[in-house]
Amino acid sequence: MTPSAPLRILVVEDEVLIALELEFLLGDLGYTTVGVAGSSQEAIALGRDTAPDVAFVDIHLIDGPTGVAVARALSENPHTTVVFMTANAKRIPDDFAGALGVIAKPYSERVVAGALRYIAEARAGHAPTLDGLDGFRLAPGPDRAGPPH
Amino acid sequence: MVLTDPHLPDNPIVWVNDAFLKLTGYGRDEIVGRNCRMFQGAETNAADVARVRAAVAAEESIEVELVNYRKDGSWFWNGMTIAPVRDETGRVRHFYAAQADMTGKHSLEVAMKHANIDLERRVEEQTADLRAALEQKTALLHEVDHRVKNNLQVISSLMLLKARRTQQADAREALNGMAERIGALSTVHRMLYSTGDVSRFNLQEFAGDFVSDLVAGIEGDRTEVSARIDSIAVSAAMAAPLALMMHELTTNAVRHAFPDNRPGRVTITATRCPDGLRMLIEDDGVGLSAGIPNPGGFGRSLVEMVVRQLRGVIRWDETSPGTRVEITVPLDAISLQDVAMKTDPAPLPHRPMQ
Repeated sequence: MTPSAPLRILVVEDEVLIALELEFLLGDLGYTTVGVAGSSQEAIALGRDTAPDVAFVDIHLIDGPTGVAVARALSENPHTTVVFMTANAKRIPDDFAGALGVIAKPYSERVVAGALRYIAEARAGHAPTLDGLDGFRLAPGPDRAGPPH
Repeated sequence: MVLTDPHLPDNPIVWVNDAFLKLTGYGRDEIVGRNCRMFQGAETNAADVARVRAAVAAEESIEVELVNYRKDGSWFWNGMTIAPVRDETGRVRHFYAAQADMTGKHSLEVAMKHANIDLERRVEEQTADLRAALEQKTALLHEVDHRVKNNLQVISSLMLLKARRTQQADAREALNGMAERIGALSTVHRMLYSTGDVSRFNLQEFAGDFVSDLVAGIEGDRTEVSARIDSIAVSAAMAAPLALMMHELTTNAVRHAFPDNRPGRVTITATRCPDGLRMLIEDDGVGLSAGIPNPGGFGRSLVEMVVRQLRGVIRWDETSPGTRVEITVPLDAISLQDVAMKTDPAPLPHRPMQ
């Protein structure tokens, strides 16, 4: 993939309306949604099939609070940057299950756009800033900006 | 009282008074000539008996409490003072023992001990109950918080989805407007529960986030929005109406004060004042009378309703150029609880559009 190609994003979200609107928003922002998964099984299978650049993962899925396990599975692929997108950030374990950070629900379009800009720059090996992105919080610990490529 | 003679075999009792006979239920002839161990029994503490024996052997006096038995087999706490009685040469002639029935005192002690243990157990039980209740309450609060946030996200997605599929510009704008209002309320909710203090909310923090969202949403770079908000803690009950009011007035100014790509600026100021909270929304746009008639005037009537709800006062002024809206609302008791919170003005940096 060339650095200028739009990020390919997997949406793991059990609320169909939220997922659909998010898909539109990602399209508006110039990104590609490679798939939407509502359950952990679906999410892990789609992750394997599509090898997305970014995965937005809700904690509560159709089969329960399985988003943490999904994040862990998806971030096994060093190519994929996982970001939680949840109203339940308290459920995220201390190590963030390999995720880069979390976008708090309810999110604004600005925060989603800003987080993706941050991720794109981090993946490109730059050092982006989080200025003004109150709704996006990084995992603690050393630089986990994702794989440079 | 009892006297014993250590010079006779086994240190027997040689004299006893009537009180002792009454206490133990024995007759004098049943006691005299026998050793004091006749009063001991199963419940008598062997270590205490050993101490008595050691004191007698050492010819020292001792105070001790022993369980003794009466003739009828019942027991009592015998508080004894035993002392050697010496003759003029210093030789021990007798041992003298004075007794007192300490059973009352002992049962009181035992009762106190039991009562204490019982109280401790009850306190522990209640603490555990309270802790469980608190945990349950916290879990419930998280659950409700999570659901509210999720529902706000769903509602906002619904509005935006419908807006995308709506052809008529008016209707689409109305739906987007509602989505934005929901967004403002969402920001309040997110901030209210993220700080750990669910009863209060910092207006300054909200304004920072809100202005960023607003600026990100307007096209072009002719409108500059800046906010100067004191760090003011307001109660959760006031947070939503205040946020809605700030959103409505600022959005109105941005949307309607600058037609035909007219450049300008919008300033939001909020300060503590003697009457409570004073908020100013100023723009240097075309002014109220010259502005495009507000569709239904919904924004303005919404603001007036909210101000009424907060028991505040609102003034609309033409400042030629522009409009100035001044709102004063009294702060409620919960908001005022925290006057100590830094009230010095900490202006937000200018956030001009790029």
